[in-house]
Amino acid sequence: MTASPSPIRPSALALLITAVVTGAFCTVAVVSAAPGSRAVLGWSLGIAAVLLSAGAYAMTHTVLRNRVLRARLTALTAQIDAQEANAARRSADAVRLDAAHAAERKALIAAHAAELRRAESARAAALAATANAAGRMQALATGMLADLREMEHRHADEDVLGDLLHLDHRTAQAGRLADSIAVLTGARSGRRWARPIVMESILRGAMGRIGGYQRVRLHSTSDAAVAGHAAEGVMHALAELLDNAANFSPPTAEVHVYVEEVPAGVIITVEDSGLVMSEVQQRRAEQAVSGRSSDLAGLSGTRLGLAVVGRLARKHGLMVSFRPSARGGTGALMLLPHELITHVTPTNTVDPVTPAALDLPQDLAQDLAQDLAQNPKAAPEPEAAPKPVAAPEPEAVPKPKAVPEPEAAHATAAEPASETSGEFPQFGESGLPKRKRGRALAAAHPEGPDAPAAPARASTAASDAAARFSSFRQAVRANSPTPEGNSE
Amino acid sequence: MSRPGRDDSPDRLYTLTGGRSRSGSDAFDLVTLVVTESDPTPGMQSEHVAILRMCRFPTAVVEIAAELALPVTVVRILLADLHDTGRISARHPRSAHRLPDPDILEQVLVGLRNL
Repeated sequence: MTASPSPIRPSALALLITAVVTGAFCTVAVVSAAPGSRAVLGWSLGIAAVLLSAGAYAMTHTVLRNRVLRARLTALTAQIDAQEANAARRSADAVRLDAAHAAERKALIAAHAAELRRAESARAAALAATANAAGRMQALATGMLADLREMEHRHADEDVLGDLLHLDHRTAQAGRLADSIAVLTGARSGRRWARPIVMESILRGAMGRIGGYQRVRLHSTSDAAVAGHAAEGVMHALAELLDNAANFSPPTAEVHVYVEEVPAGVIITVEDSGLVMSEVQQRRAEQAVSGRSSDLAGLSGTRLGLAVVGRLARKHGLMVSFRPSARGGTGALMLLPHELITHVTPTNTVDPVTPAALDLPQDLAQDLAQDLAQNPKAAPEPEAAPKPVAAPEPEAVPKPKAVPEPEAAHATAAEPASETSGEFPQFGESGLPKRKRGRALAAAHPEGPDAPAAPARASTAASDAAARFSSFRQAVRANSPTPEGNSE
Repeated sequence: MSRPGRDDSPDRLYTLTGGRSRSGSDAFDLVTLVVTESDPTPGMQSEHVAILRMCRFPTAVVEIAAELALPVTVVRILLADLHDTGRISARHPRSAHRLPDPDILEQVLVGLRNL
């Protein structure tokens, strides 16, 4: 604006002009006045001229200043207007952008939700498929193990048996892997046992499923048994702990397993002499076996064991913890709670096997038995015929006992042998089953059904006869291609 | 041994024998008689205990195998272990080739039936 320069210069100009004009006027007035009043007039006019000049200056200055201020005011107002317009424009922009953002966010959320849903369903489908496959592999492994067991009983040849045992071991390991996958995918785990499984079998069952089972040493005198519904889980968890212990210790080191009954239940300790876990590792392991996290995200792919243990522990209420072992490695402790433990009555570890019930025509057997019982002397005296067993004490010796082998031979028969012969095992004073007299004789009869008899141990004349003929059978069969003790 | 493999015990045979499939000694054949020499001690394998209980009276290998429901080969390995530690003794029955001729025996049998 025009007022931007300072108003002092025009004011000074006005002052100067006024001063010159009034000075000239004063001078003229003084010169033209009477000489007597010249001094007074001169002073008066001089003062008036000065005042006039000052007034002119002040007025000019004020006017100019006002003009400058007004110009600035106008400029500032314009500026404010411009800024307000700017702000309005910006806020409009912001509103528009906000709307755009919201729309974009909504679209993204929708896309993510769809993706999440797709991922969820993909995960569920994958889990179901894996669980299904694992279940089928479990069934296969179980079936193969049963087949192998049957073959192991059928083939007595040591080489064949060795190969079968090798296959058995591999199959058991494959079965464990299938079990692990089944556990992780939430499928039903493994097989179920109908009856409690004694601790020794639990330990051996677990041991048989790992690669380095020959390095495992069992120290158990416990007669506790694990309830059937949990036995498989306990065995599996124990197998994983044993596998860890065997894998993380030197290949020559032994893994020791101790069983201890405590008030809270039964503690199974697995001790190796390998690497000691660091504090961090130990905490991680404890976390893994606590079974608190059930998602599969934390799995590393190669180490499934502890996660499996965790799942099983949560399912069956086991408590697993780790501590440094006195053997220099790590000790894993598994506490089986009371609910899983039963105590089987400490009978003989071997059930009294039902003695052979022979497939005999009942009347024939009874006839012969009666004949011999009534007339023991009629039986031929024992002569050179070899008696396989010499009775040390004639009185205490149990009655002839049938080899249970025929039972296996007849297990596939249409009906149980004991029903056809109508006989059930009787037990002598020694607790061993004894056989009716004369049955071996009847069994040995060539016209009778081909039923094998047993080596007999008896001193009475009647059972001597039976013994003799059973020896005959024995001798004949010993050379037969199918060895004794095997089915078929 | 009904329906083998259905719901039998979870032990596998190789865990019983520690992975061995041959006994290493031929002291035991099917009719070898086994007699217990010492009582079972706590902590022994249950099959060993069972054998020691069973053989208080002389018992043939094949009978032990049948009673334990185990293959004879496996039983022979178990017996060899016990034999090596002196817990059992083994005795062979008089050899079978001195048996009378089967024909004679059958004749005797027929004679007995005719009594």
